[in-house]
Amino acid sequence: MSSSVTNIAAHTVASETSPRASRKILSDLSVMIGGQGGDGTLTVSDLLGRYFRKLGLYVYTSRNVLSRIRGGHADASVRASDHPTSSVKPQVDVLLAFDHEAAELGSQELGPEGVIIYDSSIFSTSLPNSYGFPFATLVGGQVGQPIYKNVAAYGAVSVLLGFDESLTRQVIEERFQRRGAEALQKNLKALEIGRQAASGVPEVPQHWSVRPGEAHDQILSIGNQAVALGFVVGGGRFFSGYPITPATEIMEYLQRYLQPFHGVVRQAEDELAAINNVLGAAYAGARAMTSTSGPGLSLMTEGIGQAGAAELPIVIADCQRVGPSTGEPTRHEQSDLAHLAHLGHGEYPRFIVAPGTVLECFEMTVQALNLAEKWRLPVILLLDQALCQNTVTSPPFDISKVRIERGPTLTGEDLAKMAEYKVYKSTETGVSPYALPGTPGVWAEVTGNEHDEWGHVSVAVPNRVAMMQKRMGKMTKAEPDLPKGKFFGPPDAKIGIIGFGSTTGPIWEAQELLSAKHIATRFYQPRTLYPILVSEADAFLKSVDVCYVVEHNFTGQFANLLREAVPWHHAKLKPVLKYDGHSFRSPEIVHAISGGA
Amino acid sequence: MVQSAKPVQPIWCPGCGDFGVLAAVKKAANELKIPPYQLALVGGIGCSGSIHNFLEVNGIHALHGRLLAQAIGVKLANPQLTVVAAGGDGDGYAIGMGHFIHAFKHNVSLVYLVMNNETYGLTKGQASPTSQIGFEGNIEHPFDSILTSLSIPVPNFIARTFSGDPKTMTAILVEALKFTQDHRGFAFIEDLSPCVTYNDTYKLWREKVQDVSKLDGYDPTDRQVMFRLCQETREKGKIPVGVMHRPSDAEKGEIGLEKALLPDDLGPARADLSIDANLASYTKLIRSVT
Repeated sequence: MSSSVTNIAAHTVASETSPRASRKILSDLSVMIGGQGGDGTLTVSDLLGRYFRKLGLYVYTSRNVLSRIRGGHADASVRASDHPTSSVKPQVDVLLAFDHEAAELGSQELGPEGVIIYDSSIFSTSLPNSYGFPFATLVGGQVGQPIYKNVAAYGAVSVLLGFDESLTRQVIEERFQRRGAEALQKNLKALEIGRQAASGVPEVPQHWSVRPGEAHDQILSIGNQAVALGFVVGGGRFFSGYPITPATEIMEYLQRYLQPFHGVVRQAEDELAAINNVLGAAYAGARAMTSTSGPGLSLMTEGIGQAGAAELPIVIADCQRVGPSTGEPTRHEQSDLAHLAHLGHGEYPRFIVAPGTVLECFEMTVQALNLAEKWRLPVILLLDQALCQNTVTSPPFDISKVRIERGPTLTGEDLAKMAEYKVYKSTETGVSPYALPGTPGVWAEVTGNEHDEWGHVSVAVPNRVAMMQKRMGKMTKAEPDLPKGKFFGPPDAKIGIIGFGSTTGPIWEAQELLSAKHIATRFYQPRTLYPILVSEADAFLKSVDVCYVVEHNFTGQFANLLREAVPWHHAKLKPVLKYDGHSFRSPEIVHAISGGA
Repeated sequence: MVQSAKPVQPIWCPGCGDFGVLAAVKKAANELKIPPYQLALVGGIGCSGSIHNFLEVNGIHALHGRLLAQAIGVKLANPQLTVVAAGGDGDGYAIGMGHFIHAFKHNVSLVYLVMNNETYGLTKGQASPTSQIGFEGNIEHPFDSILTSLSIPVPNFIARTFSGDPKTMTAILVEALKFTQDHRGFAFIEDLSPCVTYNDTYKLWREKVQDVSKLDGYDPTDRQVMFRLCQETREKGKIPVGVMHRPSDAEKGEIGLEKALLPDDLGPARADLSIDANLASYTKLIRSVT
């Protein structure tokens, strides 16, 4: 903890006892910032997030942007809480609106005591509890460029929420110092303009205050960054991808991270090239991955099938967005699962693993790399837009827990003791020890054609049957190796909830809300979605009378996989589905389970 | 010595032009003393793409049209390997055209051998992107890979050979392999390889091939000159063959992508992945996230 943070804590506590401290203390608050794309809403969200982090609070920020560079409605929300959270707060406390549309849209999410701060140089509104300040005009006049209006607005919000003045400034300094002295001065000036304007309206100053928290050991990250870091630390050394929302940050982070480790990051000419680059690199022996979203995944499907047939270890991170087709590139969904479970023509083994938190994104990327090489097949790391792109406080990533498991590999020494090297040698596990191309003295044929143990093309009947059994057998033999699910809530609860990926956050919160209503629930977060871990799913479903399967798609894709795997529990499964492009808010889950009781 | 995969008998029809390419690959590898384990051959889909099955070599059979994307992955993952991608005209110029154009731009040091027979032989003789007007009802103009490759301003090695002239083909392949072993970038060779069953052009092509090096003003370092010479040769009803582009001394400083991306020739496939060896750098990286 830095000394400045300690000072702030002292200051905030002291002011609570001051005569002006009739204001309410918020321990869990949400600020929504809306405007046109280009208004700088994401910057305000970032500044607030930084402030709350300095205060030791848990932070969760989400963004709602359109697939365009400028213009169109865009909003972001920042949640700060004194307890861990990884979901959007159901009601907004402060709405900062840069235009009329943002005020109208945002006010629908505003809580009963919510306050609106808006730019009165752009529009005016008669919505209750709203305070207009002409940010653009004030900043345009005094700084010379209206573009700094967002920082002025941050200043106004800081007054409303009783922020510490020097810490508020410090956030600006840290954020803008690398843009040069002039830009920093302009931003500080804009901050001052906003603070003065807000201080001049008696109801606004220190309307609320925010109590410091204890979350100083946390980091702030997004799933895509965690995947990139997990890839590097997990020994990933070759990445090829193609820009696509919401997956692109994985490639961008790797372009920054991987080079010093003899790694290669390629931006390919399309997804076909990306997956085939990865196949070539995996053949050569590199730990290789690509990342994409729905449309790219469709293009990669043939390549993923070759990984299954030719037994090449690759990882595909699928950052799901709204489908089908181009769908809604910037919006959230979990609708690729059914496609992935049955991906491609013909039959081949594959694992689908799904992290539910940013920390799990780090850990399970490592696991996915291990699984791919140990079982020599494609592993899909299933993510979703909210998990990939929403910023959240997370426990730091722990390198000491990382294990690199490469699967059976033959070195020159091993081979010297062997009579023959068969690249598809039949084994107990179905996994054939692999010698990297370039290993002196040996070579092999690797192919997606049906092949014999040498890799030679073969249509011989006994061979075909044996090879199918070799490959498909991995699905059951690997089961003990696959990521186990996690369970939350009392083991004797009779109401079950199942959800994966980013729905874990809203489900945890729904469990708390239900618990307050004396409704006990047990939440099963499966982390291997395919194949379904039958004994795990069966035991859980046995323990409950009813089970709500919460997912972001129309058809209940995970529930359907469960019906296939544990059909005897069919009647217990109650799908809770959302496919409007936005992630679940906890009350929606509460309502589905308790019926508003 | 440990027994590796033995070559199998070619599936090609007797007299197929691809036999010439197979022989040239063997001779060139012998001449350059490239052991089988150091050579990676990425095959496409089609008759020609099965060539890796008939050699002692690290072979990978790529998807249709994707052999260049896989070959690039192999070379970038292990820059010590000598990498050859080999496929047909349908594979390279139809389904794989996007990767073909980009391969010149990527400039990864590997040899791409296209066995052009102006037809889809394996699927029994349909028109391909290089088929002449009139072949199997084709009414589209044929594609010329050499003119296309000359238009991409990257110092690649570009040549066309003829299976009916194995000596020249071997010499050009040796030059192309050396070019890539020196990490100077992408080497493209289109070999005119007749399909004796569906488009037997041996006699016709033997009459029509024109060695460009015999033409007045031949200068393979000058794209404009070579473009004009190739076009003029075509206009005379002949097919230009020979080295079409060889980077000038001024361009010799250019390096293949693998060299530009990697600090040395270790590469992603042979990098030390152990946590212990990387702990200090990993810790620094992880701590950069606050």
